[in-house]
Amino acid sequence: MAEDFGGLVDSEQGLVSRRIFIEPEIYEAEQRQIFARCWLFLCHDSQLPLPGDFFSTWMGEDPVLVVRDSGGTVHAFLNVCRHRGNRLCRADHGNAASFTCAYHGWTYTNDGRLSGVPYLKEAYHNELDRNQWGLVPVAQLDQYKGLWFATFDAQAPPLRDYLGEMAWYLDTFVDRRDGGVEVVATHKWIMPCNWKFPAENFGGDAYHVPWSHLSAVTTGFSSGVTTKPATTGAMVSPGNGHVLICVGPDDVGDPPIAEVIAYEQAIRPEVSARLGPRARRINPLVGTVFPNFSLLRATSRTFRVWHPRGPGKTEVWSYVFIDKAAPPEIKEAIRLAGVRGFSPSGSFEQDDMDNWQECTQTCRGVASRRMPLNMQMGLGRDRFDAELGAWASAYRISESNHRQFYRRWAELMAAGGWRELAAAPAREQQYA
Amino acid sequence: MRNDPDLIREVEQFLYREARLLDERRFHEWVGLFTDDVRYWMAGRSNLYPKHSKAISILDPSRYVEDDTALEDELALLDETKETLMSRVARLDTGMAWAEDPPSRTRHMISNIEVEPGADENELKVYSNFIVYRSRAGSEEDFYVGARQDVLRRVDGEWKIAGRKMTLDQNVLSAKNVSIFF
Repeated sequence: MAEDFGGLVDSEQGLVSRRIFIEPEIYEAEQRQIFARCWLFLCHDSQLPLPGDFFSTWMGEDPVLVVRDSGGTVHAFLNVCRHRGNRLCRADHGNAASFTCAYHGWTYTNDGRLSGVPYLKEAYHNELDRNQWGLVPVAQLDQYKGLWFATFDAQAPPLRDYLGEMAWYLDTFVDRRDGGVEVVATHKWIMPCNWKFPAENFGGDAYHVPWSHLSAVTTGFSSGVTTKPATTGAMVSPGNGHVLICVGPDDVGDPPIAEVIAYEQAIRPEVSARLGPRARRINPLVGTVFPNFSLLRATSRTFRVWHPRGPGKTEVWSYVFIDKAAPPEIKEAIRLAGVRGFSPSGSFEQDDMDNWQECTQTCRGVASRRMPLNMQMGLGRDRFDAELGAWASAYRISESNHRQFYRRWAELMAAGGWRELAAAPAREQQYA
Repeated sequence: MRNDPDLIREVEQFLYREARLLDERRFHEWVGLFTDDVRYWMAGRSNLYPKHSKAISILDPSRYVEDDTALEDELALLDETKETLMSRVARLDTGMAWAEDPPSRTRHMISNIEVEPGADENELKVYSNFIVYRSRAGSEEDFYVGARQDVLRRVDGEWKIAGRKMTLDQNVLSAKNVSIFF
């Protein structure tokens, strides 16, 4: 019988085995149990505004083609030719009525139908049923306020249920104003680390900010990032492994640009009215939608996918997002803040990669691997907060979100399928 | 311009000296080579089908972009002013710039230099290519390869860099970060 990898996480004691960051068989199981099961982020609606627009991405290690067909309906298919398995579309994005495989010339329309097979009459004797050999769609595809997600698992709950209370927290990033947000092009780069290190960092590591990023704070790359003890804010976990770092409503993490700070002050009543009373209690700055989609509003405005590329490698696809209703000079300022703060050259982000790399690579050692990771900060000091609709830590720096993130990871690694997961007790009762 | 070997030699020497300042980590002197109004910009490249590709049939030609370099208002790897370059240099002096601690060991190779007339008589337009090798810590290695278009301006008898636009020939950057200068 296969080993129960779920046992490698002890969220009650805050201990996590380092095997989960390096061992190939655990990585393979993750691909099946997590990436082929969960809802994964594909792209933002503003990246495919018109019929024919397409965007090539990945779900785990599977290449996926997202395309708005000629009638305006969005589809997501495995970007794989049905004939010999060649990767069909090789471009990052573009606009197409149809796609033709470079190997033998099978052609698919932008709604996934197999429309052309060379020598269909002569070589296939007209016996190939093209209706059976269209592109393979994802099992479920849906969007939440412009964020397109898909899952390969037909049994997965609907997207809205999968997000649960996280949906409101997403609103605080992408639905602050009429029209939502739009994205500026992409940064893509390779980090030599396991995908879970950046995912957990964005989801709950307020602890590293006043040390890892102090150099960027003191040389003017941020404003209002609190590096001293404060009473407001909390680690917030709305369930299903989704996790966020939140500060108090009056703590802002805006880029250090006067016009952006003025813009934020000017729109605050509108945003507050739109988001409701909870936003007057808490301000979400960074978070992760389980498993590998993270959003950030501190010093920059970015969301990104941590694409797994083997146990020791992650390909980051990062986007700057901007309120669609913002004036052009604010959009430009946010774009620049993205380049300068959170990008491969970002004054914050460049310092993270080394740490995640070394945290991953030291797992290779036999003795080092035996040493469990300590995720005990604030153990037993979090509680379910009905007003937040989430578990919240007593102090604004805690590893409660790490425990929630890895607890969910372990549940998925142990469960046979979504039916078992659905039978688990409600989140509120799990600590009771 | 192409027929002025002295001027070409002068520009080459200027760019080689600049590269040496970077490799010797003399960043404060290096920042001093830029004018106050410089835009220092670097972008990567997209991976797009050319318009005549038979791999697709285009539905909406107005949506089709031929240029695979990012536009200047899109996301760049670097988009800096003199002030933000100085902040980046200041950050390296804090003792807490972890991406450069231990520091990168770089070697800047500058080649393919072409000198052309600039916008006015005080300026030159200079093309060059670069290969930057980075070795760091024990066995970390990266190559950054690309092209530069510089505007050099004569200020008080000295050449200054008044504009630098760079293209890095990678779509997915293979280095974990861009913590060095070019």
